[in-house]
Amino acid sequence: MMDRRRVLTGMAAAPLALAAPGIIRRANAESVLDVAAVYSLSGTFANVGSGLNDGSKWAFEQYGSAAGHKLNYVLLDDRGDAGEAVRKVQEAMTQRGIKHVIGCTNSAIALAVQKEVYARKGIYVNQAGADEVTGKDCNKSGFRWPVACYSAVNATVRPLIDKFPKAKRWYTITGQYVFGDSLLSNCKDVFKEKGIEHVGNSYHSLSDREYSGYIATALSQNPDVLAICNFGNQTVDVVRQAISYGMKRNTKILAVWSTGLDQFQALGPENCEDVYFGANFWHGVDSPGGRRVAEIVKQKTGDVPNYLQACGYAVSQILIEGLNKANSTDVPTIVKALEGISYEGPTGTESIRPEDHQVVKDYYLMLGKAKSAMKDKNDLCSVVAATKALPPPEKTGCQMAASL
Amino acid sequence: MSTQLLLFQVLNGVGIGMIYFLLSVGLTLIFGLMRFVNFAHGAFYLAAAYITYAVVLWTGSFWWALLLGPVLVAVLALIIERLLLRHTYALPHEAQILITFAVALLIQEVVILLFTPLGHNVPVPAALSGIVFLGPYVYPAYRLAVVGVAAVVAIVLWIAIERTKMGSILRAGSESAEMVGLLGINVDRVFMATFALGAALAGLAGVLVAPLRGVEPFMSAEALGIAFVVVVVGGLGTLSGALVGGILIGLVQSIMSTLWPEGAQLMIYAAMALVIMIRPTGLMGRI
Repeated sequence: MMDRRRVLTGMAAAPLALAAPGIIRRANAESVLDVAAVYSLSGTFANVGSGLNDGSKWAFEQYGSAAGHKLNYVLLDDRGDAGEAVRKVQEAMTQRGIKHVIGCTNSAIALAVQKEVYARKGIYVNQAGADEVTGKDCNKSGFRWPVACYSAVNATVRPLIDKFPKAKRWYTITGQYVFGDSLLSNCKDVFKEKGIEHVGNSYHSLSDREYSGYIATALSQNPDVLAICNFGNQTVDVVRQAISYGMKRNTKILAVWSTGLDQFQALGPENCEDVYFGANFWHGVDSPGGRRVAEIVKQKTGDVPNYLQACGYAVSQILIEGLNKANSTDVPTIVKALEGISYEGPTGTESIRPEDHQVVKDYYLMLGKAKSAMKDKNDLCSVVAATKALPPPEKTGCQMAASL
Repeated sequence: MSTQLLLFQVLNGVGIGMIYFLLSVGLTLIFGLMRFVNFAHGAFYLAAAYITYAVVLWTGSFWWALLLGPVLVAVLALIIERLLLRHTYALPHEAQILITFAVALLIQEVVILLFTPLGHNVPVPAALSGIVFLGPYVYPAYRLAVVGVAAVVAIVLWIAIERTKMGSILRAGSESAEMVGLLGINVDRVFMATFALGAALAGLAGVLVAPLRGVEPFMSAEALGIAFVVVVVGGLGTLSGALVGGILIGLVQSIMSTLWPEGAQLMIYAAMALVIMIRPTGLMGRI
C-alpha cells in the first residue's frame, strides 16, 4: 500500500520527470557547436572547393568533438562569388548564431569573409594565398594555414635562380586577380634583388582557358624561365599549353603555386616531367600530423591525400586545436590560445605567429619526374627544396588590434 | 608588336578559330534547321571529352575514342531528343532553354559522380606529339592536326548541305518545316537526325580538344559560351557563319593577347557587341 509520504514524493517528482526530456534535449543542444565552412561547390573553382570541403569535413569526422562540444559541420556554398560568400556568412552568423567559420576557395572570398567575421566578432581560419590576408588586411579574427604569396615566391623563385644562375631572362604569365597580382609583385621584388631581367608579363582574366596567344608572346621574348603566377585549373592549362608549344626545349617552366598531386595528375607524367612547381603539401613528406591526414583520406578514398584535402583538413584542425587548448567556444579565448600555438600539422610541426596569425610551415619546390622514374602512380614529383620563407612580421603590413 | 609576332598571332588565331568553329558548328546546325536553342551543347562536348578520357585510360588508344566519342554522344542525343526535347519544339524558347539547361546540369553531375570533380589528363597521341616548324614559327603538331580535321569537317558539311538531297531537305526545313512536311518528308525524323548530327559534332570537338586542354567537369560552360559568341557573330544557323565567326573570334583573342593581354577575353565579347550593332543578323546571317 502507498503511504502519504510516497504519494507526496511522487507528486513532487512528477513535474521533474515530465520536464526531463526537454532538459536533456537542451543539454544536448548546448553541447553541439555549429561551425560554418565556406566553399565554392559550383563555378570556376568548384573542383578546388570540392576537394577542400572534403578535407575539412573529414577532419570534423575524425575529431568528432572539441572543448567538450560535438562538432557540427555547416556547409555554405558561395558558388565562387565573394558577395555570395559574405551574404551566406552574414546569414549563418545572425540567424544561427555561428561564430566559428573556416574555409575559402580563393583569396577574394577569404578577404571579404575575414572582414565580415571580424565585424561580427567571430573567428575565421582560411586557406587563402594572397599576402593581404595576414598582411595589410589582417585582423584579430583571421588565421591562415597556407603560406602567403611572399613565401611561395621566395621558396621557389629564389632556389631556382640559385640553381640556374645563367637563367637571367624571366617571363611571367599572371592571373589578373588578387592572388595572381600578389604572386607577380613578389616575383618582381625577387627579380630586382637578384638582378633578373623581367622580359615581360601577360595578364589573363579569371575566365580564360585559351592561353596560346600569351604563350606566343612569351616565346617571342626568348625567356630562360617562364614563371606562371595563377591558380587552379588555369595553372594546369598554361603549363599544358606552354609545353605543347615546345617551351620545355629551351625554357624552364615554373608554376609558382600549384595544388600539388591533383594538378600533377591532371597534367600527367608526360607534362609534369622537368617542370618546377611550388606546393604547400606533399604526401611523400612523412610526419605524425601528415600520417593522421593520410589515415582519414585512405579510409575515405583508398588513396593518398592531395593538397586540397590536406589544406581543408588543416584549417579544421587549427580551429579544433584552438578550441581544445582554450577548452572553450569563446572566440577571444580561442584567438588567444591559437597565438603562438605549436601543433603537429599535415606538413610536420607547425606553429602560428601571434603577430599576423600566419601558420609557420614549409613550402616545397618540386620537380616533375620522368615516367620511368616513378615508383607508383602518385610519385609524379620530387621535393627539391623545403623552405620556411616568411617575411619578418614587421614587414607584412599587418596592424592588428590588441584584442577582438 | 613586331611583324613576325603579328604573323605568328594571326596563324595562331586561325588555329584557335578552327577549334571554335568545331565547337559551334553543331549548335548552329541545330538552330538553323530546328530553331531550337540547345543549352546542352556544351554538355555533349563534355560527355565526349570524358568518353575520350575513359577510352584512352582503358584501351590506351586515342583513335578508338575518336570513333566512339561522337557516336556515343549522338546516341545519347537521340535518346534525349526522343524522350524529352521533341515535346518542347512547339513551346517558346524559354522552355527549350530551361530543359536543355537541366540536361546539361544532369550530364555534368553524372560526370562528377563517375570521375570526381578533379581534372584529368588525356595524353596527345604519340603520332601527333611534338611540334612542327612553319617557317620561323613553332606550332604544336596535334593542334595543327585538329585544325586540319576542322577544315575537313567544314568542307564535308558544305558539300553535304549544298550538294546532296539530304542537304536540300535541311535547307528547305530551315525555311519552312511545315512545307517540307506537306511534301511528304518525315520532319520529325529530319529533326532527330539533325539533332544527333549537331551533338556528334559537339562530341567530335570534345574528343579533339581533350588532349589540348585535359578534361574537367566544368569545361562545358566555357565551350557553350564560346559557341554562342561564334554563332551570334557569324550569323545564327549558317555554316559559313560558324566558320567566319570562329576565325574572327580566334584572331581577336590571339592578337589582343599580345596588344592588351588583360583584355583579350573581354575583346571577344566587345567584337560580338560590335557585330550585333553593325549587322544584327551576324556577319553571314540572312537579313
